[in-house]
Amino acid sequence: MSADAPLATPVNLTEAAGGPGTSRSAPTSSPAKKSPGAKRAWGAVKGLFFIAALPVILVLIWYISTAVGEKNFFVPTPALLVETFFETWTGDRITTDVIPSLTRLLFGIAGSIIIGIVGGLLIGSVRWLRALTEPTLEFFRAIPPTVLIPVLMLLIGIGDDMKVAVIISGALWPILLNTIEGVRSMDEVLADTTHTYGITGFNRVRYLILPSAMPQIMAGIRQSLSIALILMVISEMFAASSGLGFTIVQFQRSFAIPEMWSGIVLLGIIGVIMSFIFQLIERNVLRWYHGLREIENAA
Amino acid sequence: MTSDQTSTAGTVISQGGVAETPDGLITVGKTMPDGEAMLSVRNMKKVYHTDGGDIEAVRNLTFDLPQGQLACLVGPSGSGKTTLLKCIAGLLAPSAGEVTLHGKKVTGPPKSMAVVFQEYGRSLFPWMRVRDNVELPLKNAGMDKAKRDELVDNALEAVGLAHVPKSYPWQLSGGMQQRVAIARAVAYQPQVLLMDEPFAAVDAQTRADLEDLVRSVWKKLGVSILFVTHDIDESVYLGERVIILSSSPTVIQEDVLIDLPDERDQLETRSSQRFSELRHHVYEQIQLAKKGFRPEDALAK
Repeated sequence: MSADAPLATPVNLTEAAGGPGTSRSAPTSSPAKKSPGAKRAWGAVKGLFFIAALPVILVLIWYISTAVGEKNFFVPTPALLVETFFETWTGDRITTDVIPSLTRLLFGIAGSIIIGIVGGLLIGSVRWLRALTEPTLEFFRAIPPTVLIPVLMLLIGIGDDMKVAVIISGALWPILLNTIEGVRSMDEVLADTTHTYGITGFNRVRYLILPSAMPQIMAGIRQSLSIALILMVISEMFAASSGLGFTIVQFQRSFAIPEMWSGIVLLGIIGVIMSFIFQLIERNVLRWYHGLREIENAA
Repeated sequence: MTSDQTSTAGTVISQGGVAETPDGLITVGKTMPDGEAMLSVRNMKKVYHTDGGDIEAVRNLTFDLPQGQLACLVGPSGSGKTTLLKCIAGLLAPSAGEVTLHGKKVTGPPKSMAVVFQEYGRSLFPWMRVRDNVELPLKNAGMDKAKRDELVDNALEAVGLAHVPKSYPWQLSGGMQQRVAIARAVAYQPQVLLMDEPFAAVDAQTRADLEDLVRSVWKKLGVSILFVTHDIDESVYLGERVIILSSSPTVIQEDVLIDLPDERDQLETRSSQRFSELRHHVYEQIQLAKKGFRPEDALAK
């Protein structure tokens, strides 16, 4: 801490001396005077830079450490991996492995969201139900979903529903518990207001409870997405004949190392796309929340 | 029961009385014959049961609110003003006694009552735009769209917010947010409007505007208003009547008639001699209450 302090001062001084002075001497060429279109383009370039900079550096490091010197059987070069990626994942595998995996993932996530929100609204609103279920929920939450796989295989077989059940058994918890917490932390004045205007029953859920718990629910969903992806892969490693998890394990066992890596890359890409879609939805659903927070922080 | 005095310059008319209640001989507010009052509070008591023992917040409150009256409730801090209001609003159940609206006992929030809370930032739905906030109670009541639109437009117009229906409440200043809350109450067309220190959290200039807004809305709608405040000047300026509460456990200390002219003006009214006499009197009573003066002890002597 104390070492940082002396460093910060000179930086601020140079900024204060150089920054405003230069822009004042050349006002016509300052970026602020550019047309809105150019400004937006510049913003897009900047955004692209921040997205791409780290991946480019990582690939460079990877390239240097694999292309220079001796070849490593277990780590392919970037060029080989890209080639393998397109070879492996553009043919039949899309329909035989990628689509089934994504479908299971989607059903798992949708199931977790529906069960989590409905259950959370119920448990969060009904006091005796909360008292009744909370210790039990703690118990089930503590069980790692992976140990349930053999049990579920015995109970509901080795089909797709088992895999969806495994995903739900793990991805459900962040949504369920966050929803309960979101419902419980309801603002008292807002609840009183709703009550005095006679807003009860389903309208109370629709206009008060659900939107008020939405920030916590969204935080829960965000956590659930990555858990769901992990469990999708793991569930496909047991007694499966298709799917990404199954295929990656097959590659690994047959020493198809570049192919195995390409599968891992595909999982990463799916994760990134999921998080991107989530952010897009979240920004729309919680626009009010982000605006409110911004104003509160500025005050 | 009621002991009215004749009005002479400089004297203050106390319209309250003394009554024999389950809690002993106690000062009460002005009451009316059965069936005439719009809102009746009778021997209302509220005791909170806590782990540290029982706390008697309100001992005995008895008063009536006639149709169309604007009454202010003022008391020292911690005098159970909010407790009283929540009991009247049907949000809390009194421990003893009862609240009746049009002769019907209040057991939950009545349909013909609206409440404006002090915490405007927490009483508006932050996920709804201004217009939707005002419209929601009407939508919930199943009113048709055309009627709703008309009421919402009029209410927003009445509070001077016709230009911001698309904003979110948190984008507005504190005073404007409280205007939205008032617009919502106005659009709901209540017969009784309860206001719980609505202007305690806005700045002094905004407060003056909002006070005049409450007076104008009250006159336009003919609604009964019970206005809780800790601000003595505000209570005298706004009300036709100021009910002074004692310190906790609360009883009514005095029920003062505010015989100021009907047309009130921030400058004229506040600088008039009658205003300062009334203000002086209420101030003295609040000071007494703060020092722990108990009206029932004075009666016993």
